[in-house]
Amino acid sequence: MIKNQVDTVVSAAKAAGRNALDESAGKALLADYGIRVPQSRVAKGVADVDAVMQGLQVPVVVKVMSPDILHKSDAGGVKINLRSATEVKAAIEDMLAAPKIKGARIEGFLVEEMAPSGHELVIGGLRDPQFGPLVMVGLGGIFVEIFKDVSFRLCPIARIDAEEMLDELKAAAILKGARGGKPASREAIIEVLLKMGGEDGLLLKHAADISEADINPLIVSETGAVAVDARFILG
Amino acid sequence: MSIVEQFTPLFAPKTVAVIGASTKGNALPNVFIRRIREFGFSGDIYPIHPAAAEIDGLTAYKSLADTPKPVDYAYIAVSGAQIPGMLAAAKGHVRFAQVISSGFGEVDEGKGLQDELVQAAKAGGMRLLGPNCLGIYTPRGRVTFAEIGPKETGPVGIVSQSGGLGTDIIRRGLSRGLKFSGLVTVGNCADVTPSDLLEFYLADPQTRVIGMYIETAKDGRRLFDILRKARASKPVVILKGGRTQQGLAAAASHTGSLAGDDRVWVALARQTGCMLVDTLDHFIDTLLIFQTLSPRPQRPTRKVVLFGNGGGTSVLATDYFSRLDLDVTPFDQGPIDALAALKLPPGTSITNPVDCPVGTLQQDDGRVAEKILDIICGQGKPEALVMHLNLSAFVGRTKPEVLDNLVAAAMRVQEKYPGQSHFILVLRSDGEPALEARKREFRDKAVALGVPVYDEMANAGHPLAALASFERYRAARGG
Repeated sequence: MIKNQVDTVVSAAKAAGRNALDESAGKALLADYGIRVPQSRVAKGVADVDAVMQGLQVPVVVKVMSPDILHKSDAGGVKINLRSATEVKAAIEDMLAAPKIKGARIEGFLVEEMAPSGHELVIGGLRDPQFGPLVMVGLGGIFVEIFKDVSFRLCPIARIDAEEMLDELKAAAILKGARGGKPASREAIIEVLLKMGGEDGLLLKHAADISEADINPLIVSETGAVAVDARFILG
Repeated sequence: MSIVEQFTPLFAPKTVAVIGASTKGNALPNVFIRRIREFGFSGDIYPIHPAAAEIDGLTAYKSLADTPKPVDYAYIAVSGAQIPGMLAAAKGHVRFAQVISSGFGEVDEGKGLQDELVQAAKAGGMRLLGPNCLGIYTPRGRVTFAEIGPKETGPVGIVSQSGGLGTDIIRRGLSRGLKFSGLVTVGNCADVTPSDLLEFYLADPQTRVIGMYIETAKDGRRLFDILRKARASKPVVILKGGRTQQGLAAAASHTGSLAGDDRVWVALARQTGCMLVDTLDHFIDTLLIFQTLSPRPQRPTRKVVLFGNGGGTSVLATDYFSRLDLDVTPFDQGPIDALAALKLPPGTSITNPVDCPVGTLQQDDGRVAEKILDIICGQGKPEALVMHLNLSAFVGRTKPEVLDNLVAAAMRVQEKYPGQSHFILVLRSDGEPALEARKREFRDKAVALGVPVYDEMANAGHPLAALASFERYRAARGG
């Protein structure tokens, strides 16, 4: 996708009075900056599923797309590990019946290849009223939520800043494969950090429009990093 | 015009106008006139007064536009509402106006008046400092708002958003041996901001180290850009007051909710090499180390040797320093053997820390210490050497010159191994008045020789860790 189209995605969302990009628009934005996202397609409803499943590798995950639902998992709008069109259709029917989804405006269902296993990271962005865009990295789950083990820098960051951000995480050893775990590709994380927070990165380029951003999770294996979910708050 | 040229009328004014001085001679501006005369200001002073012909023996003028020569610096302390009109009337005749008066943007009902003030300064063609501040202290220009302060120009440039803290920095700095290239209080920063003065100090050849007290950085992005561009060419120490909570309440993302407190300031420090401190004491301690010692990025400080009297003090300091990521590990066998060959009295510990009771230190009037220090520097090769003397333990047991001999010995060893180890002196005392006086006299001598002096080991640890982090930053970024 070329930048103009992505800008259209951002401006379209703003024109529609949205305060956030939906997941597929968010991922299109990431892909435009060279950040890997899982292959995905949108099904309007169960009728589309057979066509949509052509060309996608199973297992897939299905996520509801709705401007009314910010926390999809909590609403029952995420089903993982689906291995066939039949399973995908059943998942969509379940969602349509879920209490928190029933009444919402539904724009479709994102059917997406599941990322290979790896470390879960969060990479985020935030526009400070005085300092402008900041970029953040941390390990997902309890490391972010409980220990608040994250590292911030002001945009733009250079490679050495990205390196130091990772080094100052208390959980840095986990990424290197502590306790018999597999290491995460440091290079892949640094690349995503630079594509988000670097000189030509997404956060600086869209500083006027994006007030907050989360890639959560970014799944990082030994060989690469994939942005599995992304949220962009506009404003 | 270069930034240094732009700010020269502020730091070295040839003409000073004063608004608010009374014919009775008892208002704050009268005190200001007296102070700058005592401080040795030799330029023209123009009191501005609507009616008087003369104030404090000086010819008074009706308006800022009426002075015989253009005004480099105007000191203004009258009630706020009159000031905008006075500035607007200056018609390009004034370079810098500092408004001491309060009642502007710091209170809700004064916000409109502050906007007026800014517009008036613009219309009058001048830069505005303040309002709501105390003044400037600039030894090179012989202008000061403070009651005391060194007359000598030094390497430390300060900008403070608080006037009172500015006074503290001068007074406490004086007693610690700090020498300033300037100190500017900027109050509400309606026009000139800390970033502007940072830019000046970075370019100013007099200034080698910069200290900033900041409460709010309205132009935070510019502060970041200036620091980033400077690539840590000079050490910048930031004392940050007040923590930013903006944007937090509305945060809708993980990132937003995690960004609170001072993470942005920590990020700024890590990225630009500036140093954050939490207290006025740390601020002064850190400025002092950069005034006296030259950062050595080619060999960043990590290995530290502690040498002095006081076993418990050595042990506590070893723990404290290691928490600051400074390394106080025992010597290799070489220096230990060399120290053992000196056959020092029992009770002397010769690993690292090197703990010498007073008995050892006073041997041969302190000259044994020189041999010990020679081995420490020549063979132990630490990146920093902290010599600590518990003055209480010397009282009544040694001749007064032993202390001088010890420091002289340390200085000779320093000269023998130039650039080998940063040398820091800790003079410990118990607060007893005579001892304090002795310490003070001794401290002045040492600081004049370029040795930073601290009261306790912990006070020395923080600035040393800051120096180390600055050196590491420069080393990692090719500088």
